[in-house]
Amino acid sequence: MRDETLSRGVSRRAVLGGMAGMAAMSLVGRVNAADAGGEAPALAALVKDGKLPPLAERLPKKPMVVTPYEKVGAYGGTLRRGLRGSSDHNGILRMVGNQSLVRWNLEFTQVLPNLAERWDVNADASQFTFYLIQGARWSDGHPFTADDVVFAIEDCVKNTDLYSATPAQLSVAGKAVDVTKIDDFTVKFTFAAPNALYLENLATPLGQHPTLFPKHYCSQFLPKYNPKVADDAKKAGVNSWPELFRARCGDIEIPSRWGNPDKPTLDPWVVKEPYTGGATRVVMTRNPYFWQVDTSGNQLPYVDEINFGISQDVESLMLNVISGKIDIQERHISVLANKPTLSQNMKKGDYRLLTLVPSTSQQCQIYFNITHKDPAMRKMFADKSVRQALSLGINRQEIIDIVYFGQSQPYQAGPRPEHPWYNEKYARQFTDYDSDKAGAMLDQAGYGKKDANGFRLRPDGQRMFFTVDVIPTLYPDLVDALELVKAHWAQIGVDMKVNTIERALYYTRGDDNAHDAQVWPGPGGLDPMLDPRDFFAFHPQGSRYAIPWSVWYTSNGKNGEEPPESQKKRMKLFDEARSTADLDKRGAVMKQIFDIAADEFETVGLCLAVGGFGIIRNNLHNVPEKQPDSWSWPNPGPAMPQQFFFTS
Amino acid sequence: MLAFIGKRLLWMIPSLFAISFLAFVLIQLPPGDYVTTYIATLASSNEVVDQNTAAQLRERFGLDQPMLIQYLKWMWGILSRGDFGISFEWQQPVSGLIWERMALTLILALAALIATWAIALPIGVYSAVRKYSIGDYFFTAFTFLGLAIPSFLLALVLMYVAAVEFGQDVGGLFSSEFETAPWSIAKMLNLLSHLWLPVIILAVSSTASLIRVMRANMLDELPKPYVTTARAKGLSEFRLLVKYPLRIALNPFISTIAWLLPNLISGSVVVAIVLNLPTAAPLLLQALMAQDMYLAGAFVLLICALTLIGSLISDILLALVDPRIRLE
Repeated sequence: MRDETLSRGVSRRAVLGGMAGMAAMSLVGRVNAADAGGEAPALAALVKDGKLPPLAERLPKKPMVVTPYEKVGAYGGTLRRGLRGSSDHNGILRMVGNQSLVRWNLEFTQVLPNLAERWDVNADASQFTFYLIQGARWSDGHPFTADDVVFAIEDCVKNTDLYSATPAQLSVAGKAVDVTKIDDFTVKFTFAAPNALYLENLATPLGQHPTLFPKHYCSQFLPKYNPKVADDAKKAGVNSWPELFRARCGDIEIPSRWGNPDKPTLDPWVVKEPYTGGATRVVMTRNPYFWQVDTSGNQLPYVDEINFGISQDVESLMLNVISGKIDIQERHISVLANKPTLSQNMKKGDYRLLTLVPSTSQQCQIYFNITHKDPAMRKMFADKSVRQALSLGINRQEIIDIVYFGQSQPYQAGPRPEHPWYNEKYARQFTDYDSDKAGAMLDQAGYGKKDANGFRLRPDGQRMFFTVDVIPTLYPDLVDALELVKAHWAQIGVDMKVNTIERALYYTRGDDNAHDAQVWPGPGGLDPMLDPRDFFAFHPQGSRYAIPWSVWYTSNGKNGEEPPESQKKRMKLFDEARSTADLDKRGAVMKQIFDIAADEFETVGLCLAVGGFGIIRNNLHNVPEKQPDSWSWPNPGPAMPQQFFFTS
Repeated sequence: MLAFIGKRLLWMIPSLFAISFLAFVLIQLPPGDYVTTYIATLASSNEVVDQNTAAQLRERFGLDQPMLIQYLKWMWGILSRGDFGISFEWQQPVSGLIWERMALTLILALAALIATWAIALPIGVYSAVRKYSIGDYFFTAFTFLGLAIPSFLLALVLMYVAAVEFGQDVGGLFSSEFETAPWSIAKMLNLLSHLWLPVIILAVSSTASLIRVMRANMLDELPKPYVTTARAKGLSEFRLLVKYPLRIALNPFISTIAWLLPNLISGSVVVAIVLNLPTAAPLLLQALMAQDMYLAGAFVLLICALTLIGSLISDILLALVDPRIRLE
């Protein structure tokens, strides 16, 4: 009866596949039962008073069945979590707003059906046909159909007044995707060129556009549907209709997405007290039309409300955690320095710890600016043997012991050891501490002369000196690590300055290509396809060793600086990987990239990224105690908070 | 007197323009702009902003225009239709964001002011009249302790004790049921029950210095011949103190009213952040950090306006209280 893809996707454990199907069938028989086991008591009361249609009319015919992580839960309770006062809208997104056409599995390895119950992909991965769940409804009861998806992309995302450029996900080869309606519950996405990664991208937060804008609500803010929209904008006190649209309908990553309680959504909880500038808390309440059920046919979510308290200060958030006033939290508190305090107070706060598996690869990647504006500096950093010597001159074990409490291992770059594409050479080369060899290599590279203080001189007579930019407020541990690196390098005669600067300045220096070297955690550990910025010059802000090359790549050769052959080859290979639907073939292409990157040795890494952690109150259940930590897998969202529940 | 007030009011107009321009320039001085900061903030949790989005945001916020044009547009909005602009971060009109915060800030500031004066004035007078007594030493030592402890530390300690030892709700100015409720008697009472903690913390630090000022002023006045004369005429000691030396000793208190408001707003930033108070200070700090310039600019402008009004009030009060001051 049930669609095969759906039940396979829904259950992580094979044995539950059949159960899920049975549960969905038995649902029809139970929804009108007097005890109303299938829905929250508060909703049942509303149905009884005639204020809400009965459950059977609110759910899809074949609702999506979620297999609870541990067991079927019970309704009730308010889940408490913390936000920061500013720019923390994604703290809500991660918990609540995760309802895209598809979603990630718990292991972050496979894309599962979500609002699309299945899909077809053509041979060259340029056409995707999605079959939507039939009868799913927005939180105001209006049906969710193919029209909404077409509206969201064709009328909103492709509207140049709203998006002067189409978001990168939805455009390939410089052309925006075309979305057409096949029937009420089938939509076809056609790209101008192969886009094999589209499903993975669709599962990330940036893939939420197709399900973000309800046509029946958001069309009133577009001139195409509402000729008087300019007047409405004026009445609302904003300058133009695009501003009004943004304020009312939001976007994936802006605070106003959570600022309008009137906007219908497909999320398990909807806004009750909005996230606005003056807010001291955000309250989300159960969506009576949520389209997922558990294996016993009970409508999700289990938890009645989510209360996000807004703390200006991390210390007061910590205080709330310790005194047991937060039910689940990892955001903001997950730095290693907090771990002792939180471990000590587990009993007092009645919570257990949650382990986060980093999706990043490198804890501290050093990006020497190979495209430096100063020719002498450029020559120095572009010399591979100099970079190798500098890498050999770092005592990584000391850094790991002192800064990371021994919880890491020497590492350069590339996918993490547990990833199938792990590349031993790329990850481990030049990680041994050998200052003699490092010195000899520098001598040979032409940096043999020393000044009176024992520091090496460049061929032009200047001291071998450079700065490494780091943001102390963001990554305090990197400052400590760099101070140790500075001492190690001084021993081989290299003078380095740890340049602690403010965030915006750090970015501006990078954008202007004005930096000697910068550090950042190196991504791509579990998601090498989604963020390959360390493997070649991919990201105009992130590939800090050669920003002009990445500008060249992203602008299709119009701006920036033409990179050398080995970079161009990797760029081509990556484009090829991106259009290869077959995962094995894609892996083979990516492995070539890692081989070339290992030979080129462009970045110098210190150690494997260290996992974060969080807390879960002991009475909160169905929470996986080990989760990936990533923006692409926006934890804890893909762990499905709608099936978290409280006992007592 | 009226002419004086009128003249002062007229002077405020160019002052406000100058201040607003300076504030606008200062907010924009740090490198980068709102979009840079926005991207940087998101990047801190390894979230990636689409390249197209960044360029598009700059264009939408008008950040690609010269600063003078941005300033003039902002000013014109305020003058022509009372529109303080849109907060970049919240996509909300600035005016909607600031008024409630400013109201709570004023309530907190006034409460802290009253508490400070209520503690400092009597103790100051007492210390002066009973110079070098045990009481004088006791109060002096005690208030210096208050001055020495950083207020954020005091706030953290008090919060820790309240939260961990007594399991109380700390932080904020309202209980959760009143947080978003409309104003009512019950909400006012709830506010009062939460207000004492920040008020004490804010009052403790400023009390010590005021006690010293009061004590010194009183000591200056007490040996003066008019006091001796009054005493010789048989005035009771209490009436004598209140009627003459106290009035004159109050001068520095009144003349600092103008700075009190900005001081209480800027001085309470750390306390407000630690205690999670919904006052202007945390929002102003956030706005400055995010380079959300219209929101920050509006706050700075309002605080400056309050300072100007405050100095006018203190001038008028001084003329009333201090018999030595004549406007003519």
